[in-house]
Amino acid sequence: MFAFIIRRIIQAVVVMMVISLVGFSIKSKIGDPVRDLVGERVTPEERAQIADKMGLNDPFLIQYTRFVKQALKGDLGRSFIYNKPALEVIVRHAPATLELLIGTALIIIFVSLPLGIQSALQPRSLLSRFTMSFSTLGVSMPVFLTAILLIYLFAVNLQILPSYGRGETVDLFGNGYWKTGFLTHDGRMHLILPCLSLSSIMLPLFIRLIRSEMMEVLETEYIKYAWAKGLSPARIWMVHAFKNTLLPVITVFGVQMGITFAFTILTELVFQWQGMGFIFLEAVERSDISLLIAYLVVVAGVFVLVNTVVDIIYGFINPTIRIAGTR
Amino acid sequence: MKKLVLLALSLFLVISFTVSAGAKTLKVGLDADPVSLDPQVQLSGGMLQLSHWVFDPLVRWTQEMTFEPRLATKWERLDELTMRFTLRQGVKFHSGNTFTAKDVKWSFDRMRTSVDFKGLLDPFEGCTIVDDYTIDVKTKKPYALLLNMATYFFAMDSEFYTGTDANGQPKDAVLKIGESFALNNESGTGPFRATKRELGVVLEMERFTDYWDTKSPGNVTKIILTPIKENATRVAALLSGDVDFISPVPPQDFSRVDSDDKVKLVNISGGRIITFQMNQKRVEAFKDVRVRQAIVHAVNNTGIVQQIMKGTATVAAQQGPRGYAGYKESLTPRYDLAKAKMLMKEAGFEKGFEITMMAPNDRYVNDAKIAEAVAQMLGKINIKVHLKTMPKAQYWNEFDARAADMMMIGWHSDTEDSGNFSEFLMMCENKETGYGQYNSGYCNPKIDELTVAAQSETNLEKRAAMLQEIEQILYDDAAFVPLHWQNHSYGAKKNIQVKPIINVMNFPYFGDLVVE
Amino acid sequence: MASFIVLVIFLILAITAPWISPMNPYDSHNIDIMNSEIPPMWMEGGSPEFILGTDNMGRDMLSTMFYGLRTSIIIGIGAVSLQAFIGIVLGLSAGYMGGKTDAILMRIADIQFSFPYLMVAIFIGAVFQLLFGVGSYERLAIPLLTLIIGLSNWPMFARTIRASVMGEKNKEYVEAARVIGLPRFTIMFRHVLPNSLTSVMVIFTIQVASAIQSEAALSFLGLGMPVTRPSLGSLIRAGQEYIFSGSWWITIFPGLWLVVFVLVINLLGDWLRDVLNPKLYKG
Repeated sequence: MFAFIIRRIIQAVVVMMVISLVGFSIKSKIGDPVRDLVGERVTPEERAQIADKMGLNDPFLIQYTRFVKQALKGDLGRSFIYNKPALEVIVRHAPATLELLIGTALIIIFVSLPLGIQSALQPRSLLSRFTMSFSTLGVSMPVFLTAILLIYLFAVNLQILPSYGRGETVDLFGNGYWKTGFLTHDGRMHLILPCLSLSSIMLPLFIRLIRSEMMEVLETEYIKYAWAKGLSPARIWMVHAFKNTLLPVITVFGVQMGITFAFTILTELVFQWQGMGFIFLEAVERSDISLLIAYLVVVAGVFVLVNTVVDIIYGFINPTIRIAGTR
Repeated sequence: MKKLVLLALSLFLVISFTVSAGAKTLKVGLDADPVSLDPQVQLSGGMLQLSHWVFDPLVRWTQEMTFEPRLATKWERLDELTMRFTLRQGVKFHSGNTFTAKDVKWSFDRMRTSVDFKGLLDPFEGCTIVDDYTIDVKTKKPYALLLNMATYFFAMDSEFYTGTDANGQPKDAVLKIGESFALNNESGTGPFRATKRELGVVLEMERFTDYWDTKSPGNVTKIILTPIKENATRVAALLSGDVDFISPVPPQDFSRVDSDDKVKLVNISGGRIITFQMNQKRVEAFKDVRVRQAIVHAVNNTGIVQQIMKGTATVAAQQGPRGYAGYKESLTPRYDLAKAKMLMKEAGFEKGFEITMMAPNDRYVNDAKIAEAVAQMLGKINIKVHLKTMPKAQYWNEFDARAADMMMIGWHSDTEDSGNFSEFLMMCENKETGYGQYNSGYCNPKIDELTVAAQSETNLEKRAAMLQEIEQILYDDAAFVPLHWQNHSYGAKKNIQVKPIINVMNFPYFGDLVVE
Repeated sequence: MASFIVLVIFLILAITAPWISPMNPYDSHNIDIMNSEIPPMWMEGGSPEFILGTDNMGRDMLSTMFYGLRTSIIIGIGAVSLQAFIGIVLGLSAGYMGGKTDAILMRIADIQFSFPYLMVAIFIGAVFQLLFGVGSYERLAIPLLTLIIGLSNWPMFARTIRASVMGEKNKEYVEAARVIGLPRFTIMFRHVLPNSLTSVMVIFTIQVASAIQSEAALSFLGLGMPVTRPSLGSLIRAGQEYIFSGSWWITIFPGLWLVVFVLVINLLGDWLRDVLNPKLYKG
């Protein structure tokens, strides 16, 4: 296990190196950050001077070496638009996105598990038919359309939920890094719409997945044997079938939360949610290269980490499957 | 020390909260928040808006385009080159320091070191202090627009910004990137003091209790400014009551905002011209004036204003809007598809040709939609347009490289004067003088000559004649495709008196805002 | 079965779009800005010339939807086929061979995943523009978007296939095949793959929807289909701004169109699954 984790860490470093390299190689193509710093009246010469000062005109290798050296010290460059170290910007915005994901995950778990299992056990019941058709409908809605419709309905017409932003937040550790919306009523109200629209894309998938996996498991000889043994339905469903259903669901959950993370970009844009996706878009649009590369490196790191954890959990649940790379 | 300041600040906050029970808080949603608290770090609409809230200029524009005394109470011309300003007495900075002539001079000198402003200040020789409340501003050559430029002279607290900060950096440094004192701290004379700022998230300002303009009707005690980039979200925030005031309002939501019984829409015509430029260096056919005329005639800019801008823009046929010195009444919009087709035929391009077009999609009101419409319109005279729209960060690069045959450019005159348009948009591109910085491919020496001559002509009548001649030549030459002057639009709750505080420049003077 | 018929109708509509559309929305001779935002014909101010009204540029909604459907189908199916191809090949290899191959391939998948497809899109888009210039963008937008979405989403297939292969490969029938001495390639494709097909089917259907949504998302950010050649995604995007202003049809019609279309694909997927499922476990 230890060797496995070390190996993963090395892989993570390699991945981040590659990503930063790719990031650096495209940086000249995504626009000029100087343009955004100065007004439209500043002459090209003066812009060139600023770029020089910022080291943007140095040869690729020099810039990259400088970046790697600084990165090893934990400095991923300085964001132009937020005028702070890029890493700090990301860390400050990460909780917002994380809370969005947590809220979404909660909705997914508490809605998809009961509905998925229910529709697997009683596929012909009215509720499961409704669930299935609703989930197929939900999966076909673009997330920003869902978001806009939710705003239109709940914020503009009914005026019962706020339309944008995080609302009132509480500083969790007193240092300004983690401001949580979970602890105030206002903050929780602000979480509802973005989380709903985010979960709307993943819910159908999970309901379908849980349903199909569960149905598959119920068909297996193993469950038939359990029935034959005369175990109680509750025990068969919840312990035997459910446990086996969980395995693929967890893998997909890891992957899907990653995709959800990508979708937060759109949700955060519509709801003006000041999270990582929002700053990513800002970075792209305003050519904040340092922030962009830092974002990519951090995101890459997080992904490798999450995947590693998923693989470990996977290994625990089903010991017959060896963790990749441990042979 | 830092802790002390924090303590004092929080104490102040607590006090001001308790005192201001029943105070008027204005929640503002703009498309972007000001990038800095330093009024001289960037020349942009957003920063100038902030400057009018936190600082004060010598004079400012009124809604009727006249000058209103602010920190200067009087001004008089001493000679062709010099203007003497008498300054207001008893004005306090937010720091408690008293405002005098040395602050004006200090601010002017500092502004000169800012890359953004130094071009604008090029005609100036400098400031001389006569006494504590009198200052002379000198130009290098006779300069007709001195007073116009005085609207940019915001006074910063020279004492407050002198010395070194905690990082050993001089407090007056003008820094675009990195921490500087002026970036995060302010001491102006303006109606509001910035009390909390998180870039891209929130800017909070509270009324300055010692504000000199006690006659101002303004009664807003606190402003909370949140950037809401997405159009639909901004409108939704206003409609749902999350914010009290938004700008801009996208044209497609005008009727929606207008018909709501809790909010209202306020429009004011602005001076920003939206145009397309035809690059004659890239496209041989554009050298033919008939082709250029055909294009201008094919573009139904009246239709664009009606349908895309929902009537809240003014159809243009020249650069400067009505009220500007160069405005010529006789120049009218030219949409005429039949004539356009005929002109194309005459020029031998009946079958048309293909061109590329670029436009930003987040710079001007409905920019991408306008570009799309223009592309469709040109299709009718068989000019096949390959259009690409992109965020402004990328667009400016492309514009600098003159990467497409037709490019969109909008311009608002820095000096509220016609000459500024030609200097940047229509004079032959010249890297040394900086003229024609946003001219992609039109060059006419006659225009250059007239524009430069107009700069130092102080006889206003003669000057106007010259500027009008420029507009006429550009019109006859079909030098560019004029579209419209974009309006500024504001959405606000019904109890907010928006009308009196807005102006052509899009600087809402929140200091004078009345909330009923 | 009904869904299959509807899907076929959709496909026919898409293929015959140039002939059945009331007008060609790509031809600027037909478009007049003065006709913009005309409501559907049954509403006040509507005109029988434009059955479902017009969009903000004055294009006939119905025609634009036919053409948009065509574009969305091409991009969606093209991209997912590409995804499936890459995903299946890599996922199978990774899951079955394990070890170094697995580690390397899954690392590539991670790298891919850590790049939001938006980033990939910007990257390819920038390079593309440098190579071809802005003039060709319109013509090459469809293959380009297919490529971008195809390349940016394959790990989904790969990971799922790998997971199911890893569960499958230690089963007796695979062991048996190995003992007989069948070549790896044969075992992988003829024995392991068919047993992972359920997941492939489920995912394929979802992925077509997601590919169309990805395309819409890219358009949402200004990186998708050019405004002059709208797909369903960019139509919804274009109309989204008009929802508040009352011109709901610009968003709602293409939105419904898309929802129905994807719904049909999904139902078809379910149906296929039901048909395939017993075979998988009885055989």
